[in-house]
Amino acid sequence: MPIIDTDVHESFSSLQDLVPYLPDPYKSWIAQGAWRGIPQPFCYTSPGNGNRADVVTDDGSPVASDYDLMRKQVLDEYDLTYAVLTGYFYPTMLKLQYGLGTALAAAYNDYCAEHWLAKDDRFIGSIQIFARDPQAAAREIDRMADHPQMRQVMLPVVDDIAYGDPTYRPIFEAADRNEMMISFHHTTHAQGPYGMGLHYMERRALLPVALMPQVISLIVNGLFDNFPRLRFMVLEGGFSWLPHVMWRLDRDYRMGRVEVPWIKKLPSTHCRERLKLSTQPTEDISAENWVKLIELMGTDEILVFSTDYPHFDFDSPNAAIPRGLPDDLREKIFWKNAAAFYDIDIPPAAASIAAE
Amino acid sequence: MARHTVCRVQDLPVGEIVPVNAGRARLVLSRLKTGEVKAYAGRCPHQGAYLEFGCISDLTEAERPNEVSVDPSCSVLRCPWHGFEFSLENGQAVVADDHGRFLKLRPFDVQIEGDDVIVVT
Repeated sequence: MPIIDTDVHESFSSLQDLVPYLPDPYKSWIAQGAWRGIPQPFCYTSPGNGNRADVVTDDGSPVASDYDLMRKQVLDEYDLTYAVLTGYFYPTMLKLQYGLGTALAAAYNDYCAEHWLAKDDRFIGSIQIFARDPQAAAREIDRMADHPQMRQVMLPVVDDIAYGDPTYRPIFEAADRNEMMISFHHTTHAQGPYGMGLHYMERRALLPVALMPQVISLIVNGLFDNFPRLRFMVLEGGFSWLPHVMWRLDRDYRMGRVEVPWIKKLPSTHCRERLKLSTQPTEDISAENWVKLIELMGTDEILVFSTDYPHFDFDSPNAAIPRGLPDDLREKIFWKNAAAFYDIDIPPAAASIAAE
Repeated sequence: MARHTVCRVQDLPVGEIVPVNAGRARLVLSRLKTGEVKAYAGRCPHQGAYLEFGCISDLTEAERPNEVSVDPSCSVLRCPWHGFEFSLENGQAVVADDHGRFLKLRPFDVQIEGDDVIVVT
């Protein structure tokens, strides 16, 4: 069966990898060590410090910075048809001067194109932006959208203004005119209402709480209505919460339409038509409950498979999606729903396998 | 079928909800901008709130976020409990539920005879 992995994290070895792609003065700042990035804001125990402990590079450089290792451990290991590179470094998280943030995003895109996308036709790219400067972010989308492997704009979760806010509108306009899709991913800014939590399981359990508001914000602020060609994907944010959000928003729309008459469809309809949620991290629910949950969503065309390589809570294509699910549903989760989202064809070889 | 003289036309200002009793039934009346008088059952079909505590406004509309206008030809009654909107023209909820079904206020025939407003129950 073809597999489209919608969430694979690639990285540079260090910020120094971006130096060749940066303009001055930022080039010299990074090259000379005037700014060395940000440390992780938490200290949780896990065998691989947040990553799979078997993802170890020969030279000791950070995980996910080695294409050959990624190819061996995930692309070839699971015979992925496509892997969507979603990044590790999100400039939008940096609350710093806009010029540097924008330059870092552009440098990262050029680095990624040369050192990742060019190496494997199976890669689908994500345009990284500095969303805090929406006009500059829109220009970066315009600049990168011609790359044949770029299919989406990555919006990392931030902790101040949700992405439906009119501030960000130029980003969606740029994505729309360039026929890019939109994906959201959590970050270290993703917190619950009482912060990150003191323990690993607390933080991990809170991640959906940071992604739900993005869906709510987008729909309520009219993004689904104003940009009918755009499709939206939430990565690594859980999925079992979607029926709740759909029911809640539908009721709230009936109660509050007077304030938001730009919404022309029930929010649940918008979700069913144009929202995708990645499966990783799957929860330990039975095949029977997967089916119940999908029935509650009202469509089997929302879930898309992801491994989240190289992270600690990696989902194996061989085990994460119950084999007890109907074959046609597994096909939709493993590749058909993602292929529709990205408007891509699967390669002939994979297509022939799919037809068998 | 019973005819109830419930009030006079001049008791019904445009844009206001006027509760009346018609026999044992509690109703709400409202006079539209066209002059037509509408009468509906006094409780919301959603959860039974007394509609006389609701409010009337023109239907809001927008094609783009934060560019809200109103349709002065379409007045809606908003329920006092949950804010559901009902067209005063036909009593139908503005928003359907997720099965495509519209709640609807129960209408009553209204007859104007002289200054008298008569509701048929």
